[in-house]
Amino acid sequence: MPGMGTMALEPSPCTIKSPVMLQVGDMRTELGRPGVAVIDVILPHSQTIDLQEIVFKNYYTAFLSLRVLRQSSTGGGDESPSKWVTCLRNYCLMPHPHTEEGSQDYFSVSRHQMLCDMDRVAAIRLILRQPSPVWLHFSIEELQLFPGNQKSPQKGFPAWLSCPSQERPASLHDGLPDADKVSSEVQQMWVLTEMLQASQPAAEIGRFDVDGCYDLNLLSYT
Amino acid sequence: MAGNEKRRLPPASEPGRLAASSNGAPEAEAAFLLQAGVSDMVRGALLKLLEARPEEPVEFLAGYFERLMQSGAEGRADGGDPPRPLHWRLDRALWYLRLAHHSHSRTAFSNNVSMAYDSLSACGRRKKPGVNGKLYSELLKMLFRDRGAAEEIVAPLLQKITCRDHEAVPFDVFRYGVLTCLVLLEFLAKASALYEALDSGSGVADQRVCLAVLSTLEEVLRTSGVSSPIRYLEAGSKLGPDYLALAMDRALADRKPSVAMKKEEFLKKASAIFVAKVKPIG
Repeated sequence: MPGMGTMALEPSPCTIKSPVMLQVGDMRTELGRPGVAVIDVILPHSQTIDLQEIVFKNYYTAFLSLRVLRQSSTGGGDESPSKWVTCLRNYCLMPHPHTEEGSQDYFSVSRHQMLCDMDRVAAIRLILRQPSPVWLHFSIEELQLFPGNQKSPQKGFPAWLSCPSQERPASLHDGLPDADKVSSEVQQMWVLTEMLQASQPAAEIGRFDVDGCYDLNLLSYT
Repeated sequence: MAGNEKRRLPPASEPGRLAASSNGAPEAEAAFLLQAGVSDMVRGALLKLLEARPEEPVEFLAGYFERLMQSGAEGRADGGDPPRPLHWRLDRALWYLRLAHHSHSRTAFSNNVSMAYDSLSACGRRKKPGVNGKLYSELLKMLFRDRGAAEEIVAPLLQKITCRDHEAVPFDVFRYGVLTCLVLLEFLAKASALYEALDSGSGVADQRVCLAVLSTLEEVLRTSGVSSPIRYLEAGSKLGPDYLALAMDRALADRKPSVAMKKEEFLKKASAIFVAKVKPIG
Protein backbone atom coordinates (compact mmCIF):
# COMPACT_ATOMS: atom_id res chain seq x y z
CA MET A 1 0.00 0.00 0.00
CA PRO A 2 2.64 2.63 0.81
CA GLY A 3 4.64 3.48 -2.19
CA MET A 4 1.64 3.31 -4.42
CA GLY A 5 1.27 6.43 -6.40
CA THR A 6 4.37 7.99 -4.98
CA MET A 7 6.29 7.51 -8.20
CA ALA A 8 4.31 10.27 -9.77
CA LEU A 9 5.80 12.66 -7.23
CA GLU A 10 9.01 14.53 -7.63
CA PRO A 11 11.94 13.12 -5.68
CA SER A 12 13.38 15.46 -3.07
CA PRO A 13 16.51 17.25 -4.13
CA CYS A 14 19.47 15.93 -2.17
CA THR A 15 23.23 15.74 -2.29
CA ILE A 16 24.64 12.25 -2.62
CA LYS A 17 28.28 12.04 -1.57
CA SER A 18 30.66 9.63 -3.19
CA PRO A 19 31.03 6.28 -1.44
CA VAL A 20 33.75 5.80 1.15
CA MET A 21 35.28 2.31 1.31
CA LEU A 22 36.00 1.05 4.79
CA GLN A 23 39.00 -1.16 5.23
CA VAL A 24 41.33 -2.19 7.97
CA GLY A 25 44.88 -1.15 7.23
CA ASP A 26 46.29 0.77 4.32
CA MET A 27 44.20 0.77 1.18
CA ARG A 28 47.16 0.69 -1.15
CA THR A 29 49.20 -2.02 0.51
CA GLU A 30 46.51 -4.39 1.73
CA LEU A 31 45.57 -7.03 -0.77
CA GLY A 32 42.11 -7.80 0.52
CA ARG A 33 39.23 -5.89 -0.99
CA PRO A 34 37.03 -3.77 1.22
CA GLY A 35 33.68 -5.31 2.02
CA VAL A 36 31.92 -2.23 3.34
CA ALA A 37 31.11 1.12 1.73
CA VAL A 38 29.36 4.12 3.20
CA ILE A 39 27.34 6.68 1.26
CA ASP A 40 26.08 9.84 2.90
CA VAL A 41 23.08 11.71 1.61
CA ILE A 42 22.46 15.27 2.75
CA LEU A 43 19.46 17.46 2.19
CA PRO A 44 20.18 20.96 0.97
CA HIS A 45 19.84 24.04 3.18
CA SER A 46 19.60 21.90 6.31
CA GLN A 47 16.03 20.99 5.50
CA THR A 48 14.28 17.95 6.78
CA ILE A 49 11.87 15.70 4.98
CA ASP A 50 9.27 13.19 5.99
CA LEU A 51 10.65 10.27 4.12
CA GLN A 52 8.13 8.04 2.41
CA GLU A 53 10.23 5.89 0.16
CA ILE A 54 13.76 5.30 -1.06
CA VAL A 55 14.31 4.04 -4.59
CA PHE A 56 17.62 2.94 -6.05
CA LYS A 57 19.29 0.56 -8.45
CA ASN A 58 21.61 -1.98 -6.98
CA TYR A 59 25.09 -2.57 -8.25
CA TYR A 60 26.45 -5.75 -6.65
CA THR A 61 25.69 -4.81 -3.08
CA ALA A 62 24.60 -7.76 -0.99
CA PHE A 63 23.23 -6.11 2.15
CA LEU A 64 22.06 -2.63 2.94
CA SER A 65 21.79 -0.90 6.29
CA LEU A 66 20.27 2.51 6.67
CA ARG A 67 20.79 5.10 9.36
CA VAL A 68 19.03 8.44 9.45
CA LEU A 69 19.72 11.63 11.32
CA ARG A 70 16.45 12.66 12.82
CA GLN A 71 15.54 15.93 14.41
CA SER A 72 13.63 15.15 17.55
CA SER A 73 10.12 16.42 17.37
CA THR A 74 9.86 17.24 21.06
CA GLY A 75 12.35 20.09 21.23
CA GLY A 76 11.01 22.21 18.42
CA GLY A 77 13.02 24.84 16.64
CA ASP A 78 16.43 24.50 15.08
CA GLU A 79 18.24 23.91 18.33
CA SER A 80 16.62 20.57 19.05
CA PRO A 81 19.19 17.78 19.26
CA SER A 82 19.44 15.44 16.33
CA LYS A 83 20.04 11.74 16.68
CA TRP A 84 21.31 9.02 14.39
CA VAL A 85 18.96 6.06 14.30
CA THR A 86 19.23 2.78 12.49
CA CYS A 87 16.13 2.25 10.44
CA LEU A 88 17.16 -0.69 8.28
CA ARG A 89 19.53 -3.44 9.29
CA ASN A 90 21.21 -5.75 6.79
CA TYR A 91 18.42 -5.62 4.27
CA CYS A 92 19.16 -8.35 1.77
CA LEU A 93 19.58 -7.22 -1.82
CA MET A 94 21.37 -10.30 -3.17
CA PRO A 95 20.13 -13.57 -1.66
CA HIS A 96 23.32 -15.36 -2.72
CA PRO A 97 26.16 -12.87 -2.68
CA HIS A 98 28.37 -14.98 -4.92
CA THR A 99 25.80 -15.16 -7.70
CA GLU A 100 24.20 -12.56 -9.90
CA GLU A 101 20.71 -12.68 -8.49
CA GLY A 102 19.49 -9.24 -7.44
CA SER A 103 22.81 -7.66 -8.31
CA GLN A 104 21.39 -5.02 -10.64
CA ASP A 105 17.78 -4.88 -9.60
CA TYR A 106 15.76 -1.81 -8.71
CA PHE A 107 14.73 -1.64 -5.08
CA SER A 108 12.22 0.42 -3.27
CA VAL A 109 12.22 0.59 0.50
CA SER A 110 9.26 2.33 1.94
CA ARG A 111 8.30 3.71 5.26
CA HIS A 112 6.55 0.67 6.66
CA GLN A 113 9.62 -1.50 6.14
CA MET A 114 11.76 0.73 8.31
CA LEU A 115 12.51 0.02 11.93
CA CYS A 116 11.72 3.51 13.10
CA ASP A 117 9.74 6.59 12.31
CA MET A 118 10.98 8.46 9.22
CA ASP A 119 9.76 11.98 9.96
CA ARG A 120 12.02 15.02 10.07
CA VAL A 121 14.99 13.33 8.49
CA ALA A 122 17.97 15.62 7.98
CA ALA A 123 20.55 13.19 6.60
CA ILE A 124 20.81 9.57 5.57
CA ARG A 125 23.73 7.18 5.69
CA LEU A 126 23.69 4.05 3.58
CA ILE A 127 25.99 1.26 4.66
CA LEU A 128 26.61 -1.23 1.89
CA ARG A 129 28.16 -4.65 2.49
CA GLN A 130 29.44 -7.20 0.04
CA PRO A 131 31.06 -10.18 1.71
CA SER A 132 31.83 -11.98 -1.53
CA PRO A 133 35.26 -11.27 -3.06
CA VAL A 134 33.93 -12.21 -6.50
CA TRP A 135 32.87 -8.67 -7.34
CA LEU A 136 35.44 -5.97 -7.96
CA HIS A 137 33.17 -3.04 -7.12
CA PHE A 138 29.86 -2.61 -5.45
CA SER A 139 27.66 0.40 -5.00
CA ILE A 140 24.13 1.62 -5.52
CA GLU A 141 22.94 3.95 -8.24
CA GLU A 142 20.09 6.27 -9.16
CA LEU A 143 19.21 6.91 -5.54
CA GLN A 144 16.03 8.92 -5.07
CA LEU A 145 14.27 10.00 -1.92
CA PHE A 146 10.53 10.52 -2.04
CA PRO A 147 8.86 12.64 0.59
CA GLY A 148 5.56 11.76 2.18
CA ASN A 149 2.76 12.47 -0.23
CA GLN A 150 0.02 13.26 2.22
CA LYS A 151 1.04 16.85 2.71
CA SER A 152 3.36 18.87 0.59
CA PRO A 153 2.44 18.70 -3.08
CA GLN A 154 -1.28 18.47 -2.62
CA LYS A 155 -1.47 21.45 -0.36
CA GLY A 156 -4.11 23.83 -1.58
CA PHE A 157 -5.38 21.79 -4.48
CA PRO A 158 -8.28 23.67 -6.00
CA ALA A 159 -11.60 21.94 -5.98
CA TRP A 160 -11.94 21.96 -9.75
CA LEU A 161 -8.81 19.84 -10.03
CA SER A 162 -9.21 17.43 -7.14
CA CYS A 163 -12.66 16.33 -8.24
CA PRO A 164 -12.54 16.79 -11.99
CA SER A 165 -15.26 14.29 -12.72
CA GLN A 166 -17.97 16.60 -11.54
CA GLU A 167 -20.89 15.05 -13.33
CA ARG A 168 -23.75 17.04 -14.66
CA PRO A 169 -26.71 16.20 -12.44
CA ALA A 170 -29.41 14.29 -14.21
CA SER A 171 -32.25 16.49 -13.04
CA LEU A 172 -31.51 19.96 -14.24
CA HIS A 173 -33.88 22.85 -14.14
CA ASP A 174 -36.32 22.99 -17.01
CA GLY A 175 -35.60 25.47 -19.71
CA LEU A 176 -31.90 25.55 -19.05
CA PRO A 177 -30.00 26.79 -22.09
CA ASP A 178 -27.93 24.33 -24.07
CA ALA A 179 -24.81 23.97 -21.97
CA ASP A 180 -22.62 22.77 -24.81
CA LYS A 181 -23.40 25.76 -26.92
CA VAL A 182 -23.01 28.17 -24.03
CA SER A 183 -19.72 26.59 -23.09
CA SER A 184 -18.37 26.81 -26.60
CA GLU A 185 -19.16 30.52 -26.86
CA VAL A 186 -17.82 31.36 -23.42
CA GLN A 187 -14.63 29.48 -24.15
CA GLN A 188 -14.10 31.49 -27.30
CA MET A 189 -14.65 34.68 -25.38
CA TRP A 190 -12.10 33.51 -22.87
CA VAL A 191 -9.58 32.74 -25.61
CA LEU A 192 -9.98 36.20 -27.08
CA THR A 193 -9.40 37.85 -23.74
CA GLU A 194 -6.40 35.67 -22.98
CA MET A 195 -4.97 36.38 -26.40
CA LEU A 196 -5.22 40.07 -25.83
CA GLN A 197 -3.55 39.81 -22.47
CA ALA A 198 -0.67 38.04 -24.12
CA SER A 199 -0.01 40.88 -26.54
CA GLN A 200 1.08 44.04 -24.84
CA PRO A 201 2.60 47.08 -26.50
CA ALA A 202 6.35 47.22 -26.21
CA ALA A 203 6.59 50.92 -26.94
CA GLU A 204 5.52 53.68 -24.65
CA ILE A 205 4.28 57.09 -25.51
CA GLY A 206 6.37 58.59 -22.79
CA ARG A 207 3.93 60.56 -20.79
CA PHE A 208 5.30 62.41 -17.84
CA ASP A 209 2.10 63.34 -16.17
CA VAL A 210 0.29 61.34 -13.58
CA ASP A 211 -3.48 61.64 -13.93
CA GLY A 212 -3.18 64.87 -15.81
CA CYS A 213 -0.79 66.51 -13.33
CA TYR A 214 2.88 67.04 -13.92
CA ASP A 215 5.70 66.57 -11.51
CA LEU A 216 7.58 69.88 -11.39
CA ASN A 217 10.91 68.14 -11.03
CA LEU A 218 10.44 66.38 -14.34
CA LEU A 219 9.68 69.61 -16.10
CA SER A 220 12.79 71.45 -14.92
CA TYR A 221 15.46 72.53 -17.37
CA THR A 222 18.07 69.97 -16.40
CA MET B 1 2.23 52.38 -50.29
CA ALA B 2 4.83 53.91 -52.54
CA GLY B 3 5.56 50.46 -53.90
CA ASN B 4 1.93 49.92 -54.60
CA GLU B 5 1.64 53.11 -56.58
CA LYS B 6 4.56 52.17 -58.72
CA ARG B 7 3.17 48.77 -59.46
CA ARG B 8 -0.05 50.22 -60.67
CA LEU B 9 1.53 52.56 -63.21
CA PRO B 10 1.75 51.18 -66.73
CA PRO B 11 5.18 49.68 -67.21
CA ALA B 12 6.25 51.99 -70.03
CA SER B 13 9.90 51.22 -69.53
CA GLU B 14 9.79 47.70 -70.86
CA PRO B 15 10.37 47.99 -74.59
CA GLY B 16 12.38 44.76 -74.71
CA ARG B 17 9.49 42.62 -73.64
CA LEU B 18 7.08 44.35 -75.96
CA ALA B 19 9.26 43.85 -79.00
CA ALA B 20 9.83 40.20 -78.27
CA SER B 21 6.16 39.39 -78.11
CA SER B 22 4.87 41.16 -81.19
CA ASN B 23 4.88 38.19 -83.53
CA GLY B 24 1.83 36.17 -82.40
CA ALA B 25 -1.70 36.88 -81.36
CA PRO B 26 -1.60 35.22 -77.88
CA GLU B 27 1.67 36.91 -77.12
CA ALA B 28 0.30 40.23 -78.26
CA GLU B 29 -2.53 39.80 -75.81
CA ALA B 30 -0.11 38.97 -73.07
CA ALA B 31 1.89 42.02 -74.00
CA PHE B 32 -1.17 44.16 -73.87
CA LEU B 33 -2.06 42.92 -70.42
CA LEU B 34 1.47 43.57 -69.32
CA GLN B 35 1.48 47.00 -70.79
CA ALA B 36 -1.78 47.95 -69.20
CA GLY B 37 -0.48 46.77 -65.86
CA VAL B 38 -3.18 44.14 -65.54
CA SER B 39 -0.80 41.29 -64.78
CA ASP B 40 0.71 43.16 -61.90
CA MET B 41 -2.65 44.22 -60.65
CA VAL B 42 -3.99 40.69 -60.71
CA ARG B 43 -0.86 39.39 -59.10
CA GLY B 44 -1.21 41.90 -56.31
CA ALA B 45 -4.84 41.02 -55.84
CA LEU B 46 -4.15 37.29 -55.73
CA LEU B 47 -1.36 37.88 -53.28
CA LYS B 48 -3.70 39.71 -50.95
CA LEU B 49 -6.29 37.00 -51.46
CA LEU B 50 -3.81 34.32 -50.52
CA GLU B 51 -2.72 36.27 -47.50
CA ALA B 52 -6.17 36.90 -46.20
CA ARG B 53 -7.91 33.67 -47.28
CA PRO B 54 -11.36 35.16 -46.80
CA GLU B 55 -14.45 33.02 -46.67
CA GLU B 56 -15.90 34.73 -49.74
CA PRO B 57 -12.99 35.03 -52.14
CA VAL B 58 -14.96 36.45 -55.05
CA GLU B 59 -16.49 39.13 -52.93
CA PHE B 60 -13.10 39.93 -51.51
CA LEU B 61 -11.63 40.32 -54.99
CA ALA B 62 -14.50 42.49 -56.13
CA GLY B 63 -14.03 44.78 -53.17
CA TYR B 64 -10.33 44.86 -53.75
CA PHE B 65 -10.61 45.89 -57.39
CA GLU B 66 -13.25 48.44 -56.62
CA ARG B 67 -11.01 50.04 -54.05
CA LEU B 68 -8.10 49.93 -56.43
CA MET B 69 -10.12 51.73 -59.06
CA GLN B 70 -11.15 54.47 -56.67
CA SER B 71 -7.69 55.10 -55.34
CA GLY B 72 -6.19 54.74 -58.80
CA ALA B 73 -8.42 57.44 -60.22
CA GLU B 74 -7.56 59.82 -57.43
CA GLY B 75 -3.93 58.91 -57.34
CA ARG B 76 -3.25 59.32 -61.01
CA ALA B 77 -5.04 62.62 -61.39
CA ASP B 78 -1.95 64.64 -60.68
CA GLY B 79 0.92 62.20 -60.52
CA GLY B 80 3.50 62.34 -57.75
CA ASP B 81 2.39 62.06 -54.16
CA PRO B 82 0.03 64.86 -53.38
CA PRO B 83 -1.17 65.49 -49.86
CA ARG B 84 -4.24 63.35 -49.66
CA PRO B 85 -7.36 64.49 -47.91
CA LEU B 86 -7.69 63.21 -44.41
CA HIS B 87 -10.79 61.13 -44.99
CA TRP B 88 -9.12 59.42 -47.91
CA ARG B 89 -6.20 58.36 -45.76
CA LEU B 90 -8.46 57.15 -42.99
CA ASP B 91 -10.56 55.24 -45.45
CA ARG B 92 -7.59 53.61 -46.94
CA ALA B 93 -6.13 52.65 -43.57
CA LEU B 94 -9.43 51.10 -42.59
CA TRP B 95 -9.51 49.16 -45.79
CA TYR B 96 -6.09 47.71 -45.11
CA LEU B 97 -7.10 46.70 -41.62
CA ARG B 98 -10.10 44.85 -42.93
CA LEU B 99 -8.19 42.92 -45.55
CA ALA B 100 -6.93 40.13 -43.34
CA HIS B 101 -8.24 38.66 -40.14
CA HIS B 102 -6.01 39.22 -37.14
CA SER B 103 -5.80 35.64 -35.99
CA HIS B 104 -6.22 33.68 -39.20
CA SER B 105 -3.05 34.99 -40.76
CA ARG B 106 -0.72 36.76 -38.45
CA THR B 107 1.78 37.92 -41.03
CA ALA B 108 -0.81 39.25 -43.40
CA PHE B 109 -2.42 41.17 -40.59
CA SER B 110 0.90 42.62 -39.47
CA ASN B 111 1.65 43.63 -43.02
CA ASN B 112 -1.66 45.32 -43.38
CA VAL B 113 -1.37 47.13 -40.09
CA SER B 114 1.91 48.58 -41.16
CA MET B 115 0.43 49.52 -44.53
CA ALA B 116 -2.40 51.25 -42.73
CA TYR B 117 0.05 53.06 -40.50
CA ASP B 118 2.07 54.16 -43.49
CA SER B 119 -0.89 55.36 -45.41
CA LEU B 120 -2.10 57.32 -42.41
CA SER B 121 1.24 58.93 -41.89
CA ALA B 122 1.89 59.71 -45.53
CA CYS B 123 1.40 63.42 -45.51
CA GLY B 124 3.12 65.13 -48.39
CA ARG B 125 3.67 68.53 -46.91
CA ARG B 126 5.67 67.49 -43.92
CA LYS B 127 9.09 66.03 -44.11
CA LYS B 128 8.69 63.66 -41.21
CA PRO B 129 5.25 62.21 -41.40
CA GLY B 130 3.69 60.34 -38.53
CA VAL B 131 0.44 59.49 -36.92
CA ASN B 132 -0.83 61.74 -34.21
CA GLY B 133 -3.27 60.91 -31.49
CA LYS B 134 -6.15 62.61 -33.22
CA LEU B 135 -5.85 60.62 -36.39
CA TYR B 136 -5.39 57.42 -34.45
CA SER B 137 -8.47 57.99 -32.29
CA GLU B 138 -10.47 58.85 -35.36
CA LEU B 139 -9.44 55.60 -37.02
CA LEU B 140 -10.39 53.52 -34.00
CA LYS B 141 -13.74 55.24 -33.76
CA MET B 142 -14.38 54.58 -37.42
CA LEU B 143 -13.46 50.97 -36.91
CA PHE B 144 -16.23 50.64 -34.35
CA ARG B 145 -18.78 52.81 -36.09
CA ASP B 146 -18.36 50.67 -39.12
CA ARG B 147 -19.48 47.56 -37.30
CA GLY B 148 -22.22 49.29 -35.40
CA ALA B 149 -20.77 48.83 -31.94
CA ALA B 150 -22.64 50.74 -29.27
CA GLU B 151 -21.04 53.92 -28.04
CA GLU B 152 -21.31 53.06 -24.38
CA ILE B 153 -19.50 49.76 -24.92
CA VAL B 154 -16.70 51.30 -26.89
CA ALA B 155 -16.08 54.37 -24.78
CA PRO B 156 -14.37 52.64 -21.83
CA LEU B 157 -12.00 50.85 -24.17
CA LEU B 158 -11.17 53.94 -26.17
CA GLN B 159 -10.40 55.74 -22.96
CA LYS B 160 -7.75 53.16 -22.25
CA ILE B 161 -6.07 52.92 -25.60
CA THR B 162 -6.37 56.25 -27.35
CA CYS B 163 -3.73 58.91 -27.20
CA ARG B 164 -4.18 62.62 -26.77
CA ASP B 165 -4.60 64.57 -29.95
CA HIS B 166 -1.15 66.09 -29.99
CA GLU B 167 0.77 62.94 -29.11
CA ALA B 168 2.79 61.04 -31.67
CA VAL B 169 1.67 57.45 -31.86
CA PRO B 170 4.45 54.88 -32.20
CA PHE B 171 3.76 51.98 -34.47
CA ASP B 172 3.69 49.51 -31.62
CA VAL B 173 0.99 51.43 -29.82
CA PHE B 174 -0.91 51.80 -33.06
CA ARG B 175 -0.76 48.08 -33.67
CA TYR B 176 -1.83 47.28 -30.15
CA GLY B 177 -4.74 49.69 -30.31
CA VAL B 178 -5.99 48.39 -33.61
CA LEU B 179 -5.65 44.79 -32.53
CA THR B 180 -7.47 45.48 -29.28
CA CYS B 181 -10.35 47.07 -31.13
CA LEU B 182 -10.62 44.20 -33.58
CA VAL B 183 -10.49 41.63 -30.82
CA LEU B 184 -13.18 43.48 -28.90
CA LEU B 185 -15.37 43.47 -31.98
CA GLU B 186 -14.94 39.75 -32.26
CA PHE B 187 -15.55 39.35 -28.57
CA LEU B 188 -18.82 41.24 -28.95
CA ALA B 189 -19.83 38.98 -31.80
CA LYS B 190 -19.19 35.95 -29.61
CA ALA B 191 -21.05 37.52 -26.72
CA SER B 192 -24.02 38.14 -28.92
CA ALA B 193 -23.95 34.51 -30.06
CA LEU B 194 -23.75 33.54 -26.42
CA TYR B 195 -26.81 35.61 -25.66
CA GLU B 196 -28.68 33.81 -28.37
CA ALA B 197 -27.63 30.50 -26.86
CA LEU B 198 -28.80 31.68 -23.46
CA ASP B 199 -32.23 32.82 -24.52
CA SER B 200 -32.87 29.43 -26.13
CA GLY B 201 -34.79 30.93 -28.98
CA SER B 202 -37.22 32.98 -26.93
CA GLY B 203 -35.54 36.30 -27.60
CA VAL B 204 -35.00 37.25 -23.96
CA ALA B 205 -32.63 35.58 -21.58
CA ASP B 206 -33.03 35.15 -17.87
CA GLN B 207 -30.89 37.59 -15.96
CA ARG B 208 -29.88 35.05 -13.34
CA VAL B 209 -28.51 32.68 -15.94
CA CYS B 210 -26.72 35.44 -17.82
CA LEU B 211 -25.06 36.73 -14.71
CA ALA B 212 -24.06 33.23 -13.63
CA VAL B 213 -22.31 32.57 -16.93
CA LEU B 214 -20.62 35.95 -17.03
CA SER B 215 -19.41 35.71 -13.48
CA THR B 216 -17.93 32.30 -14.22
CA LEU B 217 -16.01 33.83 -17.09
CA GLU B 218 -14.88 36.68 -14.92
CA GLU B 219 -13.79 34.33 -12.19
CA VAL B 220 -11.66 32.32 -14.57
CA LEU B 221 -10.06 35.43 -15.98
CA ARG B 222 -9.40 36.85 -12.56
CA THR B 223 -6.99 34.08 -11.69
CA SER B 224 -3.67 35.67 -12.24
CA GLY B 225 -0.34 35.04 -10.61
CA VAL B 226 -0.46 31.33 -11.33
CA SER B 227 1.47 29.83 -14.18
CA SER B 228 -0.31 29.64 -17.50
CA PRO B 229 -0.78 25.86 -17.68
CA ILE B 230 -2.66 25.85 -14.40
CA ARG B 231 -4.75 28.79 -15.51
CA TYR B 232 -5.61 27.09 -18.77
CA LEU B 233 -6.53 23.88 -17.00
CA GLU B 234 -8.78 25.76 -14.66
CA ALA B 235 -10.44 27.57 -17.52
CA GLY B 236 -10.95 24.30 -19.33
CA SER B 237 -12.60 22.81 -16.32
CA LYS B 238 -14.73 25.75 -15.29
CA LEU B 239 -15.86 26.73 -18.75
CA GLY B 240 -16.76 23.19 -19.69
CA PRO B 241 -20.40 22.29 -20.30
CA ASP B 242 -20.74 20.39 -17.03
CA TYR B 243 -19.54 23.14 -14.77
CA LEU B 244 -21.52 25.80 -16.61
CA ALA B 245 -24.66 23.70 -16.51
CA LEU B 246 -24.25 23.40 -12.77
CA ALA B 247 -23.67 27.12 -12.39
CA MET B 248 -26.74 27.95 -14.47
CA ASP B 249 -28.82 25.40 -12.62
CA ARG B 250 -27.79 26.87 -9.30
CA ALA B 251 -28.69 30.34 -10.53
CA LEU B 252 -32.15 29.22 -11.54
CA ALA B 253 -32.67 27.46 -8.25
CA ASP B 254 -32.22 30.77 -6.48
CA ARG B 255 -35.39 32.16 -5.11
CA LYS B 256 -35.09 35.40 -6.97
CA PRO B 257 -37.72 36.57 -9.38
CA SER B 258 -37.08 35.83 -13.03
CA VAL B 259 -36.13 39.05 -14.76
CA ALA B 260 -35.31 39.35 -18.41
CA MET B 261 -31.93 40.75 -19.38
CA LYS B 262 -31.74 42.82 -22.51
CA LYS B 263 -29.15 42.01 -25.08
CA GLU B 264 -27.57 45.47 -24.91
CA GLU B 265 -27.19 45.13 -21.20
CA PHE B 266 -25.65 41.71 -21.58
CA LEU B 267 -23.18 42.92 -24.18
CA LYS B 268 -22.25 45.83 -21.97
CA LYS B 269 -21.58 43.60 -19.01
CA ALA B 270 -19.58 41.16 -21.12
CA SER B 271 -17.48 43.86 -22.71
CA ALA B 272 -16.74 45.31 -19.29
CA ILE B 273 -15.06 42.02 -18.40
CA PHE B 274 -12.96 42.25 -21.52
CA VAL B 275 -12.07 45.90 -21.15
CA ALA B 276 -10.98 45.35 -17.57
CA LYS B 277 -8.26 43.08 -18.89
CA VAL B 278 -6.93 45.58 -21.41
CA LYS B 279 -3.79 47.28 -20.24
CA PRO B 280 -3.92 51.03 -20.82
CA ILE B 281 -1.20 52.54 -22.93
CA GLY B 282 0.98 55.22 -21.45
